[in-house]
Amino acid sequence: MVDLGLKTLLHDKTKFAITVAGVAFAVTLVLAQVGLFNGLLDNSDLTIRKCSADLWITSHNTANVDFPQRFSETIVDRVRTVPGVSQADNLLFSYVNVALPNGASENAVVYALKDFKAWNLPWEIKDGQIEDLRRGRFLFLDEGARRRFGDFKTGDFREIQETRLRIVGQTRQAQSFTTNPISFMDYDLLQSLQPEFLGGKTSYILVRLASGTDVGTVRAEIQRRLPYQDVFTRDEWAKKSRDYWVVNTGIGMNAYLTVFLGCLVGLVVVGQTLYTSTMEHIKEFGTVKAIGGTNRDIYAILARQATVAAAVGFACGLAMALGLKPLAERIYLKLIMPVPFILLVGAGTVLMCLAAAMLSFRKVANIDPGLVFRS
Amino acid sequence: MVLQCEDITKTFHEGKVATSVLRGASMHVDQGEVVALEGPSGSGKTTLLQILGCILSPTSGHVEIEEKDVSRLNARSLAMVRKRSLGFVFQQFNLFPALTVLENVEYALNLKGMVGKAAKAEAKALVAAVELTERGNFLPRDLSGGQKQRVAIARAMAAKPAAILADEPTANLDSQVGGQVLGLFRQLARQENRGLLIVTHDPKVRGIADRVVQIKDGVIQA
Repeated sequence: MVDLGLKTLLHDKTKFAITVAGVAFAVTLVLAQVGLFNGLLDNSDLTIRKCSADLWITSHNTANVDFPQRFSETIVDRVRTVPGVSQADNLLFSYVNVALPNGASENAVVYALKDFKAWNLPWEIKDGQIEDLRRGRFLFLDEGARRRFGDFKTGDFREIQETRLRIVGQTRQAQSFTTNPISFMDYDLLQSLQPEFLGGKTSYILVRLASGTDVGTVRAEIQRRLPYQDVFTRDEWAKKSRDYWVVNTGIGMNAYLTVFLGCLVGLVVVGQTLYTSTMEHIKEFGTVKAIGGTNRDIYAILARQATVAAAVGFACGLAMALGLKPLAERIYLKLIMPVPFILLVGAGTVLMCLAAAMLSFRKVANIDPGLVFRS
Repeated sequence: MVLQCEDITKTFHEGKVATSVLRGASMHVDQGEVVALEGPSGSGKTTLLQILGCILSPTSGHVEIEEKDVSRLNARSLAMVRKRSLGFVFQQFNLFPALTVLENVEYALNLKGMVGKAAKAEAKALVAAVELTERGNFLPRDLSGGQKQRVAIARAMAAKPAAILADEPTANLDSQVGGQVLGLFRQLARQENRGLLIVTHDPKVRGIADRVVQIKDGVIQA
């Protein structure tokens, strides 16, 4: 079968390139924007997912993991007495001021525990021994901090809350939605750096359940005993932290808007190109009708052209988005594009192009085959 | 008779103005017959060709293609009749510019229901019949006017239609090439036993026609 749609589409290579570029641009826009958004969202609950706690206890109505409210650190003792709890520890979270060698100062996030290993925090150590944090005025700093703090190496000193601390190790992949560099230090040390805020306080209580224990039962019992705290399973707390950014800020809306705009750009470019192409080839479509073709034959030609433009444009757009990935990683940004999402964008691209082709359908339906007799 | 019309009228309305283009036209084309339809500009010959070609419907009167009344068929059914029974050759050639010579013919065969190897073989045979075998893979832009019209003839012959309707087939060709194309027309119509209706101003067409029909002011002249 002669593929008139494809041959006509490829016949004018410049126009085809413009169509493909329009689709590719739209696809890249959608993939990159949503990929970046996914990357940021991934950061928003990364600590929760990596930490081995089964339950997280927070102060009442805490919005997400990056914005905790403090409560008494002695509450942990009450948690430890709940049947089914195998271990419970305080986790402090705070923002600290870091003085940089160039005289500037920046904020950093600190996670502080007494026993990091027990909770799989930090989850990826580049160098250093995490136990060393108990031995002095030390901290671990994530390698991603270089973007904000400039270069540093293990053994360097940094002034944090006007106290000289030594970097005794580095971590990888510890990131937060707020993009503040993440560090880890001993629980007592952090309290001593901010005694007026953190003295006798904790941000969270991490709970590990004894094996075979029913999560719901233990959780309900803790909640009964701590009416002024909230108790979440790991998944619930991760979802709440993620949803905060999506729902309570304009970031989710921004991502949806970009997807919408990407689709709109693609729709307009493809629709306009196909419509122009239809108008330019109207006599050929008239010929198709004159020699016995029906509207359906011509719809098939337009649909074929739209599908090919979609497929090639999508492939180019995907290649560009994948090409952006390593570039983003260089500046410690993640582009997360799961395969189902890529497939969804692919299917959406085809639908978008078919919708654009439909703009031409009405024109084609009204083509008078008699026009081929006019000179 | 492969084409026949009786007492055809056609009136076009443009706003409140009605223009009668055909006023009781009757004519026919038999199998294997070459008929030239001549008339001055505006006489209604192309409108009559379009009605006989199932592209326009008459305002009144009867049209029969292969002895079947098609006067009251809808657009879709008329398309089926064109596909099954008719071939067209246009003044402007109207080849598909993105398709090669062979593909232009093969596409017409595809539309008429023939696909695959059979369509390819038939397209080759038709292109050979119009003596363009060596140009089979050329695009229309690389052909001369005469060659383009020969491709159009091969396309019109696709799937062996009962009748071929040609609208001023030599108008865009020089005299010598026009004569060659008409010769080819005549030969193929006879060889394949097809009815051939040629609308023309060209006096050379008389030389190959079995019969000449004159039309003036929408009326067939006796």
